[in-house]
Amino acid sequence: MAGMRRQPMSKKYHVINTPVHNVDGIAKVTGRAEYTFDVVLPHMLYGKILRSPYPHARILNIDTSKAESLSGVRGVVTGKDTLGVKQGIWRRYKELCDEEILAREKVRYIGEPVAAVAAVDEDTAEEALDYIEVEYESLPAVFVPLDAIKEGAPLLHEQAERNINVTRHIEWGDVDEGFKQSDFIREDWFRCSSQAHVCMETHCAVASYTPDGKLTVYTSSQSHYYIKVLLADVLGLRENDIRVISRYTGGGFGSKFELDSAQFCSSVLSMKFCKPVKIVLTREEEFMATKRRTPMFYYLRTGVKKDGQFVAKESRVFTEGGAYTAMGATALYLTGFFQAFPYDWPNYRFDGYRVYTNTPPTSAMRGFGAPQATFCAETQIDIIAKELGIDRIDIRRKNGMYAGYEVPGQAWIQSCGLDECLDKVDEWIKGKGDLPANNGIGIAAYGFMSGGIFNWFDTPYAFSSAVVQVNIDGKVDLFIGSQDMGQGSNTTLTMICAEELGVNVQDIRLHMGDTDKCPVDLGAWGSRETLMQGNAVKMAAAEVKKQILEFAAAKMSPNIVYDLDIKDGWIHLIARPERGLAFNDVVKEAIRGRDGQPLVARGHYTPHRKGMISPAYSFGVQAIEVDVDPETGKITLKDCVTAHDCGQVINPLGVQGQLEGAIAMAAGYGFTEDLPMDEGKILNPNLVDYKLLRTTEMPETTVVEVETYEPEGPFGAKEAGEGLTNPTAGALGNAVFDAVGVSINELPITPEKVLEAIREKDKPETNKED
Amino acid sequence: MDKIKLCITVNGEDHECYIKPKKLLVEVLRDELGLMGTKRGCNTGSCHACTVLINSVSVKSCSVLAVQADGCEITTIEGLADAAELSPLQRSFLDYGAFQCGFCTSGMLLTATSFLAENPEPTEHDIREGLHGNICRCTGYNSIIRAVKAVADGGYEEAADE
Amino acid sequence: MIKDFVYHRANTSEEALDLLDKYRDDCKIICGGQSLLILMRQGLVAPANLIDIKGVKDLDYITFDPEEGLKIGAVTTHRAVEKSEIVKDNYSILIEMEKNLASVQTRNWGTLGGNLCHGDPTGDPATLFTVLNGSVKLASKERERTIPVEEFSIDFFETVLEEGEMLLEIQLPVIPPRTAVAYDKFNLIENDQGIVAAGVSVTVDEKGSVCQEARIALGSAAPVPMRAKAAEELLRGKKIDDALLDAVGQKAAEEADPVADIHASEEYRRDLVNTLTKRMVRKAWEQARALAGGKE
Repeated sequence: MAGMRRQPMSKKYHVINTPVHNVDGIAKVTGRAEYTFDVVLPHMLYGKILRSPYPHARILNIDTSKAESLSGVRGVVTGKDTLGVKQGIWRRYKELCDEEILAREKVRYIGEPVAAVAAVDEDTAEEALDYIEVEYESLPAVFVPLDAIKEGAPLLHEQAERNINVTRHIEWGDVDEGFKQSDFIREDWFRCSSQAHVCMETHCAVASYTPDGKLTVYTSSQSHYYIKVLLADVLGLRENDIRVISRYTGGGFGSKFELDSAQFCSSVLSMKFCKPVKIVLTREEEFMATKRRTPMFYYLRTGVKKDGQFVAKESRVFTEGGAYTAMGATALYLTGFFQAFPYDWPNYRFDGYRVYTNTPPTSAMRGFGAPQATFCAETQIDIIAKELGIDRIDIRRKNGMYAGYEVPGQAWIQSCGLDECLDKVDEWIKGKGDLPANNGIGIAAYGFMSGGIFNWFDTPYAFSSAVVQVNIDGKVDLFIGSQDMGQGSNTTLTMICAEELGVNVQDIRLHMGDTDKCPVDLGAWGSRETLMQGNAVKMAAAEVKKQILEFAAAKMSPNIVYDLDIKDGWIHLIARPERGLAFNDVVKEAIRGRDGQPLVARGHYTPHRKGMISPAYSFGVQAIEVDVDPETGKITLKDCVTAHDCGQVINPLGVQGQLEGAIAMAAGYGFTEDLPMDEGKILNPNLVDYKLLRTTEMPETTVVEVETYEPEGPFGAKEAGEGLTNPTAGALGNAVFDAVGVSINELPITPEKVLEAIREKDKPETNKED
Repeated sequence: MDKIKLCITVNGEDHECYIKPKKLLVEVLRDELGLMGTKRGCNTGSCHACTVLINSVSVKSCSVLAVQADGCEITTIEGLADAAELSPLQRSFLDYGAFQCGFCTSGMLLTATSFLAENPEPTEHDIREGLHGNICRCTGYNSIIRAVKAVADGGYEEAADE
Repeated sequence: MIKDFVYHRANTSEEALDLLDKYRDDCKIICGGQSLLILMRQGLVAPANLIDIKGVKDLDYITFDPEEGLKIGAVTTHRAVEKSEIVKDNYSILIEMEKNLASVQTRNWGTLGGNLCHGDPTGDPATLFTVLNGSVKLASKERERTIPVEEFSIDFFETVLEEGEMLLEIQLPVIPPRTAVAYDKFNLIENDQGIVAAGVSVTVDEKGSVCQEARIALGSAAPVPMRAKAAEELLRGKKIDDALLDAVGQKAAEEADPVADIHASEEYRRDLVNTLTKRMVRKAWEQARALAGGKE
């Protein structure tokens, strides 16, 4: 069957870019992996959360007495039982720390927690919710940004005039002058929808507070460090009296690095009763009351020369913020930043407004504002190309970014394989030949960051750290702070360590997911683990390797001009690899030589002075082939190719898996997934009505790796996994455009919209002017 | 509410327990028998992460009252491997990277095991249809299809008994 | 959460009827539970007594008689029907329907009888059985009655089943000679409930030149599966060509009474009724003519 077609594997590495079994594989395929969902502690209570049925209301009174008197109920907590700390992930900016989680005075979205119960079992806790009496005073509410910013609209937060949460401005060149110089100008409006993460493991936590003042929280998380610090803030505990454990996480996609209601409520309950408390969100709660992709109202005005040269682009965006800031401020900036990707825009201006609305908060979701930006940008480019009669690959090639390009004042592009990606996709499309009627191919190009430079969390730590220790039998302990939520970082980082140190993956014992034992890493978000944690791991491994080679050199007495290296557990002269010593033997002697102390080193990484956004950018081009049924508008995905540049591939099985998963998720964003709301209430909070792609909708996928070398990345590697969600909605829309000549500007591209657009297009023109 | 007696055989072991009749099979497996490998991802019978085999036939354990499985033989993920010897599908899943976060993997493996027992020579399309109920949010499914096809194509034949 | 109930297991249909009679409006029957358990978990249904008929072997059968047609016992699973040789030989359209229904796991444990009794207007069996002119045999301790499937559902999730009454058997008459049946549903994700469904049966004359009889049933186009009778009427006695197909589709769309929901507007549902009806009529017509060896 069609599968991968890729570059020949690099022979220069022993571990990297080889198909290695996932280091968590045995645990996962035998059902041994213990997720927070599975954690059971002695004397554990079960918690449930009471949530607001109103989108905007004052809480007048909460009477918990009836609930507390139910048999089997240990107790109930409300906002009054907390310190009332307003927290937020943008910790550095107090005005953006606006969420209490357990609301005290006001609720601002349907689903906001107002109370939490702990009981002997889940059913009792659930039943108790019905007995908590909350008196609300309903307030007028607003649901869309353009209503929320009107004069006189109800205010969600007192300090936010006209409900404007944050604004962002990015500018270079002179856009107005650029439009004057353009031969052709196009204006378009777009609406990008929301999307739910739908992690298979819902948000959950088991919090256990003990009389010694220590709190242990098992939780499904993308960043145990962030959760630990935020819990310390809101609970008034010392940071390191809190231990967060997150060994296996059943999916994240951006939903699990902020403090959530399961973590907070279970902690508050546990602290009150000194018993472990487990809270697992139901699938309905997951849809209704956890954070989601940011919907955006987009305006793009683009000016080009008649030969397709890009001249100027102006972009204005209103994002639906929902009730709290969350990570929405980042999504706002990134959508503006990636709106210019992956092209050279001589003149660019972006103005973004994030607006509070009485809907569940919008935040980070894989792509972080870039899928929305890419959908709009790529859709418009195809329209422009068609109107100018220019080939859609050519117009992109003409304007594409390249190695050495500087996004003025924002970023340096050091490695960029975009051109070759365009070539590969062009080749694939040409190989398809003529397509049947109502079939089409659409493409989209993208670029994405490998970890962010900003420190809005206000951490004094290095962004990533690692510790490598080599033991007497040659077994290597690798301590990392990063989280594997399925994206495969455990395997990737183990491979980096193995490659650098010269051993094999099986020689490494990985320690992660426990703040008591692991060094700090900011977490798995913004595609930072491969580059940032990878660099920290590489540094630590290199340092230990140096210590080992010191002893090896002493033993082997090589000529000073000969270098030693380690590969596959063999320490050898590079020039004469047959001359060497076994790794384990040298290690044993090295340890003896150091008073029996294991060989240990630390590594860390923080991107200093690497621009405004990220130290490195991945690139790619995707093409999708579709069949459109012109009588129903139904879209069938038939085939897909993605040529991508993630620098040096570390974990090829991982990259392919990330790509295919990204396609399924991003195609869903393009045409099947949506969170329709009525007065702030999500109408499809279940997996029957929320439409995910299944095995039968997923097309054949071909992966083409374009190898570049990124100086900032470990072994030249960049991210692969989040950027890959950027192009699909745009490519899909462009495929529909190619197939039936209609361009839909509103996501998701449903059959109903397609049919309506086809009918509109085919209407006989009644007013023809000569 | 009176509890009633339930007798089931799980992965070859007999179990007897007393449960409220409203208990679902998935709850008995996880909460009574401590077999945490079977997961739960929804409340609407949609995700199929909870798939187990009842008398070799794949079912959603969240959509079966435990009492209805009285006297039956259940196979869960814990029963696929023979001690340290992984089943062919478990091995091919490792080779093909047919999982990422792993939360749907137990259900996926049980479904695939039952599917191949009933369809020894499937086409790729057959496999997609056979596994259609199981949601995976991470992999995009294609690696799973490849892994199942590889087993079907005979790449993981058990060593002949000596 | 599921509320506690007293559990009763029936081993025979007689035991089941006794229990139903004893508990009247204070009980519910469970068989496969694929629909019921979801309702119970949401608290929409909370019977004090649950009567489990999964083990009632005397209601687990598929029989065929060349005169009487097909009889399916109430507790027969979808999967048993899907794999039945009898069904394959005589009602292959049923197998097609089953393959597109939910998932293997659901079909392994869920039953056709349970599906019908759930009364979901998006349910494929009710719509297809309407096309096939099927009937259901219902029984209580007092009496037995057989009514057309078409009259079984009366509103969203509501059937004519009375207190103390249960479904015993589904009956499908022999498909008349020179008759072809086509069924399809429109969905975004395969095997999902249809946003709209259309089933058509066309019987042609001996020469295969005109449509002698036609039945059109629509699913998700009204609170219950409905017959598009005016559309059927357009077909009787006619040779079916493109112009007639357009008219039939249009008429079916007019007859439909669809809701608007998050999946589709009313107008789009009507469009789909139009398109699906046309396609299924064409398909059934062509297949029926082939059966008759019809020529132009």
